[in-house]
Amino acid sequence: MNYVEWLRVRNALRIYAIVLGVLIVIALIVRVSLSSQLNHDQYLIDRVSKEPGTKISHSVVDGLNRTTIVSPSDSTTITIDEKPDGGRIIHIVEPSKSHKPSTHAAHVGSFRANTTVSNGIETITVDTDGPVNVVIFLFIASFAGLILATCLGAPFACEQGHLEIAMLKPVTRIRYALGVIGADFAGIALAGAMTIVAAVICQAMFEVPHFDFSEVAGPLTLLLIVLPFSWYAALCAATASMQRGAGAVVGFAWPIAFVTIGLSHIPLGGTVVGQTFHVIFRAVASIIPLSYMQVRMMGSTATSDNGLTFSLNAAIITGLMLIYGALAIAQWRRVEA
Amino acid sequence: MSTISIKNLRKTYGPYVAVDDLSFEIPEACVFGLLGPNGAGKTTTFKCMLDLARATSGSVLYDGAPLVPETFERIAYVPERSVLYEWMTVAEHVEMQRRAYRGFSVPRAHELLAQFGIDLRKKARALSKGMRTATMVALAIARESDILIFDEPTSGLDPINQRHVLNLIINESARGATVIFSSHQIGQVERAAERIAVIDRGRLALEGAVDDLKADRKIVEAILPSENFALNGLVGDPRILRLDRTGRIVRALTLHDASDVLAKFEALGASGLRIVDLNLEDIFLYAVSPADATADVVEGR
Repeated sequence: MNYVEWLRVRNALRIYAIVLGVLIVIALIVRVSLSSQLNHDQYLIDRVSKEPGTKISHSVVDGLNRTTIVSPSDSTTITIDEKPDGGRIIHIVEPSKSHKPSTHAAHVGSFRANTTVSNGIETITVDTDGPVNVVIFLFIASFAGLILATCLGAPFACEQGHLEIAMLKPVTRIRYALGVIGADFAGIALAGAMTIVAAVICQAMFEVPHFDFSEVAGPLTLLLIVLPFSWYAALCAATASMQRGAGAVVGFAWPIAFVTIGLSHIPLGGTVVGQTFHVIFRAVASIIPLSYMQVRMMGSTATSDNGLTFSLNAAIITGLMLIYGALAIAQWRRVEA
Repeated sequence: MSTISIKNLRKTYGPYVAVDDLSFEIPEACVFGLLGPNGAGKTTTFKCMLDLARATSGSVLYDGAPLVPETFERIAYVPERSVLYEWMTVAEHVEMQRRAYRGFSVPRAHELLAQFGIDLRKKARALSKGMRTATMVALAIARESDILIFDEPTSGLDPINQRHVLNLIINESARGATVIFSSHQIGQVERAAERIAVIDRGRLALEGAVDDLKADRKIVEAILPSENFALNGLVGDPRILRLDRTGRIVRALTLHDASDVLAKFEALGASGLRIVDLNLEDIFLYAVSPADATADVVEGR
């Protein structure tokens, strides 16, 4: 019954798959180009061995290979321990340029580095395949879902000019509309899944994937899943009864949303006019689903940045999705050819 | 098979009355022609019949029951303009219809599309206006519906395909389907339709069986003795619906008793008398603009 919408979804996903394919190819090219640098132990050995007097020794500790590199010329000692899953734990001990004690952590993908400066000695510990919080993949998938939600966001407006086909199906308009929304929801979900697969493929090109699922069951996951659907529903509601101009609404939706959300955070002076505008922007921002996706990453941990818990954000965003969906369907019921 | 009953149908758009108190019945297995000048309300009538536009008042009943979604299994509609999805291929349109309607026959659709010379692989945007119309007609007929509604089904088609569509319409009626169609090509309506309704400015101007309308209405032609000859006693005759005069030639549109009118002309001394059968175009023109049609009548009033 909703074959046309499935075709729209298929076409959008086809384009998206091509984009992902191009990204994977780019990642592959980068991987091949950096292959020497990404072989961490060999890269370090090659670099340090150029120094005069460098000694490299191999040993077995607890059944695992250890490579020790000692460079007397720059007082550096590097220990590379192979992990059972193929990763490496690398310890670099060298003189610090700074004498101020400090600790610093860096985290990119599964690559974790901790740097400690103490007593003029800098100790760097690198874990090349630390676990990656799966929520990061959900972030990327949610963003992809938002893009596809935007592409598919005016399904009822797209039927303008074809109402004599769409409305003469032997089903109620509500059922037809639910079918359309269902097809688009499936497309958005599929785009998210494709994104996760592509991200894992890209990661696997550079390192052995090692996932941390500990935060997956949390409210942030629900928030990330619901966000694209809520955004889609909002666009649907905005365009459902538009005979023309729906493309412009969808096209400007992102900038309008960001400007509104941005202005809602800025106190517009102490004047009555400024305060009035501030209240208006806050009110409008409160009905924009993207307002509830303000996250701050602290290392691998995400925290809500809008004063509400992730659970409350997820609940509001789900509520908005249902309200916008109902509004879109109500408008569709009243459309006349 | 189905009988359609339209009762006191009214549709307004703000202050504009598109359809006003329209009532007529369409018997089952009948080819019904809906005629009217541009903007008369034909398309709006179709839309109200299909709930594509909500009637302001009145009702449309199918076999005595109002339209419900399930009724669309039995109704195929071809609108005046193309509503095909430009980005979809013809084959995808066929598939769309197959998935939507139980009665849709894919082989029949392929056969009809082949008859029109339409390539299934082409996207709708690559089809000419006539080919789009033909595609919509083929998709509608392949539904094998009880009721087919065509709004200008030959629009944009070449004469060969116009004739083909007309034959298809007649074949559908022969199969037992009720066919309702509008066309500005009155010759086509005359050829295919058993009954007609003429709508003018949203109101029903004329309705009936084509044969009855033609049998009741005749034109009496006569050549008067002189250009200034007075038509005493003829103007105002209730049997004469319209009187046109060009020089010595006079044409009288009569209702029922054409022979009596002919005798009256003969008594006045007119020559070249004959009774001419009316075609549907004459009937249509009289129905939609009787005031204009009689404005040229000169003396004798």
